[in-house]
This record gives sequence, C-alpha cells and structure tokens, in this order.
Amino acid sequence: MSGPLTLDVLRPCLEGIVPAGIATCGADGMPNVTYVSQLMYVDQEHLALSFQFFNKTRENILANPVATVLTMDPDTAARYRLTVRYLRTETAGPLFERMKAKLAGIASHTGMAGVFHLLGADIYRVQAVEPVPGRELPAAWNGPALLPALRRSIDVLGRAEGLDGLIDVFCSSLERQFGIQHQMLLMADAARQRLFIVASRGYPSSGAGAEIPYGVGVIGVAARERVPIRIMFPASEYAYGRVLREQATSGGLAEQLETAIPLPGLAEPASQLAVPVLAGNHLVAVAYVESQHECHFGYDLEDALVALCASLGLAMHLLQCPMDGEEDGAGGPPEAVVERPGAALRVRHFSRDDSVFVDDDYLIKGVAGAILWKLLQDHAQDGRCEFSTRELRLAPALRLPEVCDNLDARLILLQRRLLDRSDSLRIEKTGRGRFRLALGRPVLLLAGEGG
Amino acid sequence: MHSPVPLEPALAAFITSRLSIQVAASDGHGLASLVRAVGCRVSADRCRVTVLVSRSQAAPVLAGVAANGMLAAVFNEPESHRTVQLKGRDACVEVATAEDEAALVPYAADFSGRLAVFRVPEAYVRTLVSCAPGDLVAISFTPSEAYGQTPGPRAGMRLEGGQP
Repeated sequence: MSGPLTLDVLRPCLEGIVPAGIATCGADGMPNVTYVSQLMYVDQEHLALSFQFFNKTRENILANPVATVLTMDPDTAARYRLTVRYLRTETAGPLFERMKAKLAGIASHTGMAGVFHLLGADIYRVQAVEPVPGRELPAAWNGPALLPALRRSIDVLGRAEGLDGLIDVFCSSLERQFGIQHQMLLMADAARQRLFIVASRGYPSSGAGAEIPYGVGVIGVAARERVPIRIMFPASEYAYGRVLREQATSGGLAEQLETAIPLPGLAEPASQLAVPVLAGNHLVAVAYVESQHECHFGYDLEDALVALCASLGLAMHLLQCPMDGEEDGAGGPPEAVVERPGAALRVRHFSRDDSVFVDDDYLIKGVAGAILWKLLQDHAQDGRCEFSTRELRLAPALRLPEVCDNLDARLILLQRRLLDRSDSLRIEKTGRGRFRLALGRPVLLLAGEGG
Repeated sequence: MHSPVPLEPALAAFITSRLSIQVAASDGHGLASLVRAVGCRVSADRCRVTVLVSRSQAAPVLAGVAANGMLAAVFNEPESHRTVQLKGRDACVEVATAEDEAALVPYAADFSGRLAVFRVPEAYVRTLVSCAPGDLVAISFTPSEAYGQTPGPRAGMRLEGGQP
C-alpha cells in the first residue's frame, strides 16, 4: 500500500468482518489480551470498540487508557497494529445506533444473537498505525469505481426536472452507476414521525405509500438519528415485517400506520444500508439499498451515497417549498378525456382517515386519499380534469401545512399507487405545478360511514 | 515460589486443538502489544505452554517478554466461541524446533477448517497464519492464571478446575 497509513485507508479492517484483538496493560504491568466483537471507523483519527461486558480490558483501560489493537484486512489479510487511547463511552445517539445495528449483523453472522448486547460505543483516538509484516493476498475487485459513478449521478441529478424527475434520476443512478438492484426511496413526514415509500426498484410491487415509523428498523433508525445505518450481515432485529408489526402494535401505532400497503423488500437481506437525505438540518427522505449478498456495501459506497443524497436533499428541499409563480402555465393541451363505456368505478371515501377504496379494494389514505377525493369531487361537479398544485395548497379540506408541505411527494405517491392498483384512474403531470386527472371509466362517488 | 500446577488435561487438549491464538506482552511502561500466534504445544507434565509466533511480526511482543517475562495468551475456538486466556510471569523466547516448523501446515489446515463455518476462504486463513521458514520463534511460559473469556456474563472470570 502506498501513501500514508491513515485510518481512512484502513477502513476495510474496521468493518468487524474478521475479529480484532486488543491488548491492555494492568497496573501491575501484566498484559491482557482479548478478542473484540466489533471495531468501527469514526473519523480519520478515531475508532469505536463495542463495549458489551465488564471485563479485565475495561478495568484496564479505565485505569490506563493506552492499548494496542491488532486488526486484519478482510480481503488481503494484511495486519495492522494500532496504538489507541481510550477517550469516552457513548451509550445513545447516532454513533451508538450505528454500532448497535452493525453489531446486530455481526452477532447473527457469528451465532451470537441474544448474547451480544451493546452497552456502549467506546471511543478511542488512534495515536499510531504500524503495518505488521507478512504475506498478503491481492486486493479483491470492489465493484464499480465510485467517484466517477458519483460524478455522473450528481451531473444527471442537476438536470432533472420536477420532484418526480429527481426521484426517477436518483433511482436510475443507483441502478446504472452503482449497480444497486434493490432500493427504496422514502419521503419523510416529520409531523407524523414516519416515512412513506415514494419509489422503489427491484421488487415485484412498488409498495408506494407503505409507511415506516421513525426509529423502526434500519430505515427508521437512520431517519430518527439522521445518520447512515449499514449492516454487513443478515440481522433479524432490523428486518421489517415482524419488527414493524410488533413495534406498531406495542406503541399503539397500528391504527394510524399505513399497514394495508405491504412493504416491498427482500425477505432476508444480507446487506443493508439506509442513508438519510438531508437539507441542512431538515430530514427530507431516506434512501435504502439492500442485497442478498453479505458485506455488499462498504464504507466507500456509504460515503458515495451520502454525497449523492446531499445533492438530492437540497434539490428536493427547493422543490418542496412552494414558490410564487411555480406554475409554468403552459401545461399540455387540454385533453378530451374519453370515458370508455363500462361499469362505473365505485370510489368510496371515509372522512375519518381519508381512506379511499376503489371497487371495494383499498387504495390509499391520509393526505393522498384526501387529494384524490377532492379531484374526483371537482370532476363530478363540473367535469374538470386539469388541476394545479397551487389550488390544492389553498384547499381547506386538505389541511396542508403552509411551508414545505410535501404536496409534490404526495402527488407522486398517489400517481404511483394508482399505477399499481387501477387501470382506469390516472394522474398525469402536464407541466410544472400542473396535472391532469384521467378517467378510463365513469366514476360513482360514495361516502363511507362517517363520511 | 509455588511449584507449578499442571493444566487440567481438558484445558491442555483445548489450547492445542489448533485454535485462533493471540499473545500479548507489555513494555514495562504501561503499553501492551500483541501478535497472532501460529501454533501451540504443552509440555508432557502440562506445566509449560509454548506458543509459536513469526519473529518479524512479533517484535514488540518479543521485546516485552525479554524485558519482563509477563505474557498473556488468548485461545478461541471460533465455531463455539469458547475462549480462554492464560497468563504467565516467567515467559522466555526460545528457538523453534523442527517439530514446531512441521506443525505449521497441519495448524493452518485445521484452523481454516474451523473458519470454513463462517465461509472464510482457506487461502485467506493460510495467508493469515503463514510464517516464512526460519522466521518462527517460540515463547514458553508457566501458566499461573487462567480466565474464561467466552462471550457472556461469565467472561473474564477466573477458571476453576481448569475447564475451558
């Protein structure tokens, strides 16, 4: 390896794939040596060790904070001795949650689920790095070159038009530039402390509209802590399905949570990475990628996605905040909607939760449900098909917050949910801030109980 | 000086069953260093343990042993997580024997067999525990303390009865 040996270039050794060792020294000079379940890179000068049990190592470092860590590259078997100094222990917060999630993967990989329990993340400053001589294997191929992929992705993101354009370009970039096959993008709903899926790739159904509360699983923890969460091995504690149901039920969330739309996703992902999409301190969305292969997403890919999500976050934030003159007025030519003959589509609305059913099948609820109901009512009254986001923002029935209302994201979600669930109901974008309701059959509007 | 207590036969068998081994020594100024060992043998009377290390990799550990004779060695069976740490105060560096050199190959083979459970490639393990001819050196010590370090609430407790 050429160039200075810094923690940045040693990051593969800090994934916890090969157990490291730590040697400490007691007050009487007697050495102590033990295996470490997990090392984690913190920054160029710091690493974290998992603190799980009170033991001699802990007793020693509290009295004499200097220790030596022996770590190995998981691909080349190159060994390094790091002289480290213990600084502090974190028992909550972003770093702790990153480590807890990572440890869950390691525990399940090594058959120690239920035994490994993170008490704290011990933070050490790295004072020296010493390569240990000996044989090494050639470095393995590590997937596409990340910097060119990142540059190309940011480039196309900058040319995307509208929120739906941004979302499509982002998902395509992950697929084409980074070779990621399974992904979801979830928009944040800060008021309700949850995320809803607005786009996904690589699953039998899009899951548009499915919800995940903040704090639940890899995605929810990434949202709550605003920090990337990455797991290298299958970890059942962070799988959705079961966990989501349990937490929703125990927290009394089940009723308000969108549980009728199933979450897409791999049944047992072997690698997971969730990256918060931020605009300043404001959480806009979470990007989630997963793979059936273990150790698929490394530190470098995490960095690349964090950088890409920073671009995405700013672009989304600008689009989400309504601006004067947002409509370009051009629109498409008013299209005569030809209602094909056929039985009327029965659309039923429940005002209690704004849920909408089409021919007795559940479609959506919440803001997206209210929007659809308003459009259909307007259409029934005066035959209108052309609408603008501005009028939706002014509609009292929708109760949208005044600033950064996520309306565009709701419309995209509704558009995609309709694509998933109905052949006869469509929402089509016709220009900036303008869209069209397209009906393939006559519609019969019904108010549900309490409606 | 107490006369040394032999290791229990089960413990002696455990630590010589081609496990993952790391050894540490301290520099006398509060800094301990460590290296991976590539083999272990126990004397016929089970009072003396010898761990084998690469001289070029073990420089700070060998210096510590030469300076103060204090040594810690941890033995881990990867597939079961059973872990034991032995400590001694009379460690010394010795020349590796021809038998020690000959034991490297079966050590690498058995150790990589253990890690196959975790899908670690054999070539990786062989690289990790390789030692150039002539680079092998032995460190012998009389274990005076033994601790169980299998992960869990009993980790770090002194072993009673010498059971791993």
